[in-house]
Amino acid sequence: MSTAVSGGVMEQVGPNIIHHVTNSDIAHPILHLPTIFGIDFSVTKHVFMLWLVALLVSVTVIIPVRRYVNGKKMIPSGLANLIEMVIVFIRDSIVRPNVGTRWVNTWSPLIFTLFFFILFSNAIGMIPIFDVLGLLDRFALNTQADSMVNHLLHGGTTATGNFNVTGALAVVTFFTIMIAGTKAHGFIKHWKNLVPHGLAWPVYIILIPIELMGLIVKPFALTMRLAANMTGGHIALLALLSLMAIFGEMFHSTAAGVGVAFVAVPMAVAISGLEIIVILVQAYVFTLLTAVFVGMAINVHH
Amino acid sequence: MEMQATIFLPIGMGLIVIGASLGIGKFASAAAESIARQPEAADKITAAVNLPLFLLEGVAILAEVFTFLMLIL
Repeated sequence: MSTAVSGGVMEQVGPNIIHHVTNSDIAHPILHLPTIFGIDFSVTKHVFMLWLVALLVSVTVIIPVRRYVNGKKMIPSGLANLIEMVIVFIRDSIVRPNVGTRWVNTWSPLIFTLFFFILFSNAIGMIPIFDVLGLLDRFALNTQADSMVNHLLHGGTTATGNFNVTGALAVVTFFTIMIAGTKAHGFIKHWKNLVPHGLAWPVYIILIPIELMGLIVKPFALTMRLAANMTGGHIALLALLSLMAIFGEMFHSTAAGVGVAFVAVPMAVAISGLEIIVILVQAYVFTLLTAVFVGMAINVHH
Repeated sequence: MEMQATIFLPIGMGLIVIGASLGIGKFASAAAESIARQPEAADKITAAVNLPLFLLEGVAILAEVFTFLMLIL
């Protein structure tokens, strides 16, 4: 990301915001990895954040849980206690009412994984640690413009803000639905359960294409809902903060920019508060909808 | 063509968002009324309202995303 002033502030604001929320260029990745089967495996900004989130989730969840499972105490303490609270809440209010008591233990681990991964990934996107480190690097350390450290410090980002990431999660949901239905009813019967039985045959001509489209549209909606919520929040935040630069440029004085800061920054704080609520809600909604779709495949509605 | 797109796309998005918010408002008011009638069923009613609420919110978000995409491309 160039720091040279190439135009007025007005021309720079838009591309700046777009750079913040989209993935880094595949031609300038953080770490060059070879191209296997035509897919470039280089590590870009979002891929790095994915790895970071995976590492953090594993460390935060696996270590306390293993310590509790292999220990002697009946009652978990510390972090394991908190994790147990969350897990019991998810299992009893999301998984069990939808999936049914028989299959709770089969599908709960997947639902927990989805919930924790999405929650952590959304939340880490809100912490501007990489931007702070980038500031430090620019003014204190001055590493080379092309080094890996410099690329790393161009800002962290929300991994789930990229629709490819959420698309991968939705693909997991898609196959989970099929596997859940197959396990519960058998392969052929799962597909026959797609449409309700006992209707007049002309209805089936319309109903079957609609249900088949629904198979694709439901994971697609899951994808776009999560990605759009995350990206939209960040774009709103960045646009508000860019107001300071825009006003400073429009009136050609620093005082105007600073004056607007007294309005823009509190509004940005409010939007960040809303973002925290949106993070929790979006993780909950993705998990809930996955559980509902799995439940619909297992307990045939109607 | 660009001129017409820039004018009509946001109008379309506004219409979709109006539809979605009217639907959500109706949901919320029906839920509030039924909880007022029968406070013991508050949990079940919340659980029943939860799902369509988020599906409808997804509709509004999808409208935003597609508008943005069509304006860019």
